[in-house]
Amino acid sequence: MTDFLTPFLMQSAVQAITPILLASLAGVLCGRVGVFNIALEGQMLIGAFAAVVGCYFAHSAAVGVLAAIVATIAFSLILAYGATVFRGDSVVICIGMNLLASGLTAYLLRAMFDVSGTFSDPSLVGISRIRVPALQVIPILGWGFARQTAITWGAWVLVVLIALLLFKTPVGLRLRGVGEQPDAAETLGVDMRRYRVVTVLASSALVGLAGAQLSLGAVTVFAEDMTAGRGWIAVVAVMLGRGHPVYSAAACALFGFADAVGLRLQGQGLPNQLTDIAPYVVTLAALALSHRKRARVAVPT
Amino acid sequence: MSAVARLCPPPALVAIVVAVVVGGALVLVSGANPIQAYAAIVEGALAPDNLPNTLNWATPLVGMTLAAAIPLRGGMINLGGDGQMVVGGLVGAITPLLPVAGPLAATLALIAASLAGGFYAALAAWGQIRFAIPMLISSLLLSYTAVGIVSYLVRFPLRDTTTGLPQTALVPVAARLPTLAGPVNAGMLVIAAVAALVIVIDRRAVIGYELRMRGLNARFAGYGGVRLDRQALGAMFASGAIAGLVGAIVVLGGQFRFIDGALLTPAYTWSGLMAALLAGGEPVGAIAAGLFFAALQTGGFAMQRESSVPRVLTLVLQAIVILFLAMRHGLGKRSS
Amino acid sequence: MAIPELEAIGIVKRYGAVLANDHIDLSVESGEIHAVMGENGAGKSTLMSILYGLQPPDEGRILLRGVEARFGSALDAIAAGMGMVHQAFKLFASLTVWENIVFGAEPSRIVFIDRGKARREVAELARRHGLGVDPDAKVGTLSVGVRQRVEILKALYRRARILVLDEPTAVLTPQERDGLFAVMRRLAAEGRTILFVTHKLNEVMAITDRVTVLRDSKVVARMNTSETTAGEIIRAMTGRNVDLQIERGAAAPGAPLLEIERLTIGSPDGRPLVDGAAFVVRAGEIVGLAGVAGNGQSELVEALVGLRRPDAGEVRIAGASVGEADVAGHRAAGLAYIPEDRANLGAALGADAADNFAMGFQRDPPLSRSGWLDPAAMAARARALIDKFGVRTASEHGLASSLSGGNLQKMVVARELSHAAPVLVAEQPTRGVDIGATEFIHGQLVAERDKGHAVLLVSAELSEILALSDRILVMYEGRILADVPRAEASEEALGLLMAGRTAGS
Repeated sequence: MTDFLTPFLMQSAVQAITPILLASLAGVLCGRVGVFNIALEGQMLIGAFAAVVGCYFAHSAAVGVLAAIVATIAFSLILAYGATVFRGDSVVICIGMNLLASGLTAYLLRAMFDVSGTFSDPSLVGISRIRVPALQVIPILGWGFARQTAITWGAWVLVVLIALLLFKTPVGLRLRGVGEQPDAAETLGVDMRRYRVVTVLASSALVGLAGAQLSLGAVTVFAEDMTAGRGWIAVVAVMLGRGHPVYSAAACALFGFADAVGLRLQGQGLPNQLTDIAPYVVTLAALALSHRKRARVAVPT
Repeated sequence: MSAVARLCPPPALVAIVVAVVVGGALVLVSGANPIQAYAAIVEGALAPDNLPNTLNWATPLVGMTLAAAIPLRGGMINLGGDGQMVVGGLVGAITPLLPVAGPLAATLALIAASLAGGFYAALAAWGQIRFAIPMLISSLLLSYTAVGIVSYLVRFPLRDTTTGLPQTALVPVAARLPTLAGPVNAGMLVIAAVAALVIVIDRRAVIGYELRMRGLNARFAGYGGVRLDRQALGAMFASGAIAGLVGAIVVLGGQFRFIDGALLTPAYTWSGLMAALLAGGEPVGAIAAGLFFAALQTGGFAMQRESSVPRVLTLVLQAIVILFLAMRHGLGKRSS
Repeated sequence: MAIPELEAIGIVKRYGAVLANDHIDLSVESGEIHAVMGENGAGKSTLMSILYGLQPPDEGRILLRGVEARFGSALDAIAAGMGMVHQAFKLFASLTVWENIVFGAEPSRIVFIDRGKARREVAELARRHGLGVDPDAKVGTLSVGVRQRVEILKALYRRARILVLDEPTAVLTPQERDGLFAVMRRLAAEGRTILFVTHKLNEVMAITDRVTVLRDSKVVARMNTSETTAGEIIRAMTGRNVDLQIERGAAAPGAPLLEIERLTIGSPDGRPLVDGAAFVVRAGEIVGLAGVAGNGQSELVEALVGLRRPDAGEVRIAGASVGEADVAGHRAAGLAYIPEDRANLGAALGADAADNFAMGFQRDPPLSRSGWLDPAAMAARARALIDKFGVRTASEHGLASSLSGGNLQKMVVARELSHAAPVLVAEQPTRGVDIGATEFIHGQLVAERDKGHAVLLVSAELSEILALSDRILVMYEGRILADVPRAEASEEALGLLMAGRTAGS
């Protein structure tokens, strides 16, 4: 096992999980209040772009991260109000948002930096990594976390915090109630719209972080459509985890592992077009295998 | 309809105006003249010299609009058009190279491409029926998978080794779709025929009625004796078959070989899906929206040439139209 | 005279052009059990949602103990001492009893819910009011009667002084109903005020002090219960004399048309939803299936119409086995089905009447030939059924969503009866339908029987079962506990069976 999984591989696996994990936590929160959020892909793309813009102008990764959060929240106003106050269908709104994000980032990339495709600049500084040499000696898991950004560490702490929030606090109880039986919550004076709006917006900050990690964490570059389906994998992780942050995190870890194995096989000569599809195949297999457990949970088609 | 409602402009028109205003602001912010940009779009799309370009662009886009509209009419969403299109495109590029192809190579290739796209799309429906995997998700995941595998095939086993590029060998001249005028080829007639068929089935056929009822209330259709599983398979097969056909038409009508990525760059699938969503899956409205988007995008090329405003602006405009309609008018509110 | 606990003065509510409440006055004394009666659509629900702050009135005032109250939301009404038990319970099935009760008013310690305190308070409240519930049970696993107790506890936890009970007995067995009445009397004796919304006369006569009757959005009568009669109330409600008895001759049962054998449907948590059900319905008889909602009737019906595949057992329609067939197969064998949920199962509200009338007939002439529809035939068929059944709609091209509940139900009944199928399954055929339409639908069911068809009537209303059935089945926890001829059935005996008590136990 340790021959196959090198420290480098584990590090890249943990790194690959971070954006998916953050997005899936956001998906869990939205799902709990009854908003089916499949705009994670677009939200993440906006975050990745805003991070690069903020970083480019301020020469600071921290400003980039902040810009990602602010921009993603602003972008998510569409879903927050569209699916509540304006009574739109969340699936249609989310598809529209994903396309808007794709078009808008490509447009602004050309308009602001006069490049198409990818944008990279020496003035872009990546998010610094926290080095924990002590972890280096622990095989596999230790290798994975020895050199990671604060966002990666934060993501795993958030898994626990969000689980506590959902299942141990009054706010969490109300969140779950609003999603399960909105009219029951209303009759007890819990304002469904307000809970939905605030949850969508707050959770979008997490997706913004995911975007920042993508464009300033592993690399320091923005590429058109660089999210490449990560937001959709996060949607699947929410489904597999049946709305529980810890189970969804486990699903994310599975995808990250598949990704790492793909990378490893690529190192052994398999073409990357084939290894790139590993996460999707694993996801489909996981969905097929878990169907008995999910069968009881109604999912919109 | 009340008198007030009749006086109000149709919602789609309002949405387009909103998109034009927001898009204009975006152009203004990036330092260009929005009036010039829009004039360039209209000129580039509708001037007599440019009309064939618009029609040529509209052929695949309207095709993908129909591919999206069929499942949507029944309340289902097929996000996997890209995958079904590349599967069809590759099959369409390979079939004429086979020795059995003969004089009917083009027809055979189009049929084979439709079947391939259709079966690939039906796989997503099967996943929903057998494993309860939501089709929204599985169609997209299967699409990424197909794109990866096709890309591999084109780069390695099926590559035309005489060029350095990831593309298949040129198809024989006999298997190419005949040209009608300028860039417009016989593929346009094929898509027009498919569109007519879809409209007639939607309005007059029993299966059209049943799909429409499913879209309005899937439980009601099931209660009335409609076989929902079979219907989902059929709708997805038809959708994927049209997507596969579009892939083959692009290959045999203009590129004459399968070039990796060439089918996906124009984002026909997503524009088609948006056009279909605009009309809630109703085919006549969807086709009209598809033609509108095609004109917008063709005009976008001219705008980029003449005013240096990136043509991707047209994608932004499309997204704004959809979002506006989704919110103001509950577009796509599905009962199932 | 003391200041009334609750007073509503001149309440007006409009929905577009429709006047739902037309200057309604209501006055309720402290410690009183006050009935608000009226047919469906008379304006009861609108009035209650205004009193509970769910929507503001267009005109009028609400006084609580003489002080004007303005409710911006349910929260304001709750704070002012209002509590409401809705007809469709507003509960979270996946949450526990205590979580449901404290929801929105949770005791907390630092940032976390104080689970211990919450459970203690709920248990104490339940004990004090004699409403036995397990605070830790998941609400989804509870029977309807217990869920109602949770609803009442929710209001009491919020210190409600005025309790609105909206059709609370519709889902209860007669014995559970008596238990509820005892609780209501106790609460009234403590000085709480109860508004009892219902359309059941005998219950009003049994428990209330005063009655306010609504008709066509107006108050048409106010009476002291002890000084009035059931006939007087019903005249006020309907504006005419109604004969509640159904004219029908004796049944002449023939060959079995619907046969169910050892039908079993499992459930994820072990106990089967339907447990070896077996019965027959013969030509020319109406068989009533009684039972408290949630004892497997819905699942049984789903299985015998083909919406759900049973895990074991056999269904025969007119002699043909249809166990493995889907809905289309069942319908082909000769089954028509009036579903309980007409809006979500029995109709497509977004489609026009012609499309709704066509469903189930679309594959056969005259509506279609070799796969192609004949729109003229569809319209003609819709017009004929609209006329024959008196469905009130502008035209066959009007959307089903524009029909009132009663007319929508008539549409579903008309379509299903026009199949002329030998077997008819009618599920809660008159729920939420006004008295006029109820009479009409009952008449149609009897006519169906007299044509020699087999009718299975599934209803939670014991009075409906007793009025129409020739034979009565009682279902409890998935099993058919009894199969008794109408002549031998009494409300009390059926009630005991519905609560699971067989003779000798």
